[in-house]
Amino acid sequence: MTSNSSYVPGLEGIVAAQTAMSMVDGENGRLVYRGYVIADLAEDMSFEEVAHLLWQGRLPTRAELDALTLELAGSRALTRAAEATLNALPTDTDPMDVLRSVVSVQGVEHRLEKPTIPLAVHATASFPTILAGFHRRQQGLGPIAQRADLGHAANYLYMLNGKESSPEIVRALNTYLVLLADHGMNASTFTARVIASTDSDLASCLVGAIGALKGPAHGGAPSAVIEQLDQIGAAPDAEAWMRDARKRKVKFMGFGHRIYRVYDPRARILKAMCERMNPGFYALASRVEEIALRILHEEHPERPQSTNVEFYSAGVLQAIGLPKEYFSPTFATSRVAGWTAHVLEQVANNRIIRPQSEYIGPEPRKPVPLAERG
Amino acid sequence: MAEFSPGLEGVVAAETAVSEVDGANGRLIYRGGYLIEDLVGVASFEEIAYLLWHGELPDQGQLDGLRLQMSAGRKLNHAARGALMAMDPATDPMDVLRTVVSAQGATKSLTKPSLEEAIALTAIIPTIVGASYRRRQGKEIVEPRDDLGHAANLLWMMEGKESAAEKTRYVDTYLVLLADHGLNASTFAARVVASTGSDLTSCVVGAIAALKGPAHGGATLAARNMLDKVGSAEKAEQWLTEAHARHERFSGFGHRVYRTYDPRARILREMAKSAAPDLHRTATKTEEVALRILHEAHPERPNATNVDFWASVVLTGAGISKEMFTCIFATSRVAGWTAHVLEAMADLRIIRPASRWIGPQPGRKPMQLTKR
Repeated sequence: MTSNSSYVPGLEGIVAAQTAMSMVDGENGRLVYRGYVIADLAEDMSFEEVAHLLWQGRLPTRAELDALTLELAGSRALTRAAEATLNALPTDTDPMDVLRSVVSVQGVEHRLEKPTIPLAVHATASFPTILAGFHRRQQGLGPIAQRADLGHAANYLYMLNGKESSPEIVRALNTYLVLLADHGMNASTFTARVIASTDSDLASCLVGAIGALKGPAHGGAPSAVIEQLDQIGAAPDAEAWMRDARKRKVKFMGFGHRIYRVYDPRARILKAMCERMNPGFYALASRVEEIALRILHEEHPERPQSTNVEFYSAGVLQAIGLPKEYFSPTFATSRVAGWTAHVLEQVANNRIIRPQSEYIGPEPRKPVPLAERG
Repeated sequence: MAEFSPGLEGVVAAETAVSEVDGANGRLIYRGGYLIEDLVGVASFEEIAYLLWHGELPDQGQLDGLRLQMSAGRKLNHAARGALMAMDPATDPMDVLRTVVSAQGATKSLTKPSLEEAIALTAIIPTIVGASYRRRQGKEIVEPRDDLGHAANLLWMMEGKESAAEKTRYVDTYLVLLADHGLNASTFAARVVASTGSDLTSCVVGAIAALKGPAHGGATLAARNMLDKVGSAEKAEQWLTEAHARHERFSGFGHRVYRTYDPRARILREMAKSAAPDLHRTATKTEEVALRILHEAHPERPNATNVDFWASVVLTGAGISKEMFTCIFATSRVAGWTAHVLEAMADLRIIRPASRWIGPQPGRKPMQLTKR
């Protein structure tokens, strides 16, 4: 009634922001962070370096990296209120709900301050502490104090397990964190930017983003990949199970993406890691992938149905030793770097994000008083 | 690729039957096709919530059923109480609300948004707002009463005594007027969260987070703060002229959608006369002067008074402390947020817009750390 543009479901193809954070080049299967192609960053960069890249626009010097590492380590502790909230939640709570609630309370320190890089560092540092603390609590164990001498990935694992992990495992988690740190205008990042656009605070943006990431159509899927593989059971049974599943309209978990028209570059890296680190998973998963792509192609030859990042993420996170309920929140632990960077970019050149809707209800009419209804 | 419209202005992001803002004609239409001015005085907040959720006003039996369900949903669970008591009483009430709603809705496994959850979320917010306000005052938390309506119970939990019928009516009218407003930023945030298949608590928490922003829900407080600075009708001319010279924005004026007087502001302006006579006098003069100054500065812009301006006067008249304004806004808008999410569930599709790359040319090679 008030708009002259037409409704595009899901805002597909509608440009909602200009960004210099990351570019998803779906045609060519490239993911670019601040000008760097993901494959050039994945193996050699620490998560801290990539977070610096996203926040500051360039890779850090040695001195800058040391300063950031120190700042992150100094921001890992939870506030008293955050700790008490974590302890008030039932031990069977979904860790995504724990993260949403505890990030919310941890962030009250910042009140209505304008989002800044130090606040982004502070928030990013707290995610592993929250998750590890809750995981310990679920096992009836007390929290492990952080180790300031360990990097972001190593310290997360240390606080989870109470012991240092092998360099290979630390490296794998680090690569995962680097790969997932940003991805254009995905739903959670967009949520964070919508919230930022009202001049709200950083914690509010993050809490909203966590809520969006929780959805199975976004970050909530990697645990579903494991569950589906468990149901399939073994490679020789895969084809029969999967054909039958399609008859029952069961969705294959870990396939399809709105943007990539070719193989997701992150999935390629994670797949190679799976082959190396999680051979059992890889044997079944690679067979399931082959069949799924074949069946999906038979059904919709016109669609570019490719494996998405969640499929092999599941195998990597499993090899790292994370329980599957911690897959999505570990995704959040990575993506918080991108969320905060996007929020900083949004507030630097802000305009409230307030689209229009198209009214499809009845024409105006008069209400009937309560006594005369029914 | 499509053009970039900053703030998605003019971009249609959803089809909805929950409400329509007809900015050109200054009309707000609620679900079912009812004009907002026709609903005021006819329907209570509970009836409006029912309307937004179901598409039709309830009959007496349906309304009684909803009231019963809502009064049964006013108790905090253990986790929510723990989160509430963990926070410093001086914490921003919107932060308290965001956190405690999140804790109250924390579950073991993902649930699909349902009407029952919409009712539960709507019912619990006054309890959190009341408790948060009492703690700020250093007073004991007041337990909810199941024999009171939504507005009356909210005031009961805030003040610890039953409010005068007039005050309850002001609050109820405010709740009716603010319950939905097209695809505003918080409602849109809720719909984006919903689009991923997430749960209703996550949607509402995201919406609260967006409403907190001074450019959205925080505007009512800003309007009241400006009236406080103006001080009195006599000082309005001077204060506003000076503020304008300092390039200060006038809070409570301007709206992206309305091109004429906001119909909600009109109703609240009328109500403000009896609700807060002194502040009404200051506000009337402030409005007159502000509109004149704005028109002189930008004759081409439709600079009308927005709902926040007069809402701040009516809420003051109802005895609501100004730092609670945004929370009271959330108390109302949760009906709309949840109605929008339930509507979106019927045809769920992830909201994932595009972005335009303005960064460096892709493909540069990273330098080794030691060489940087």
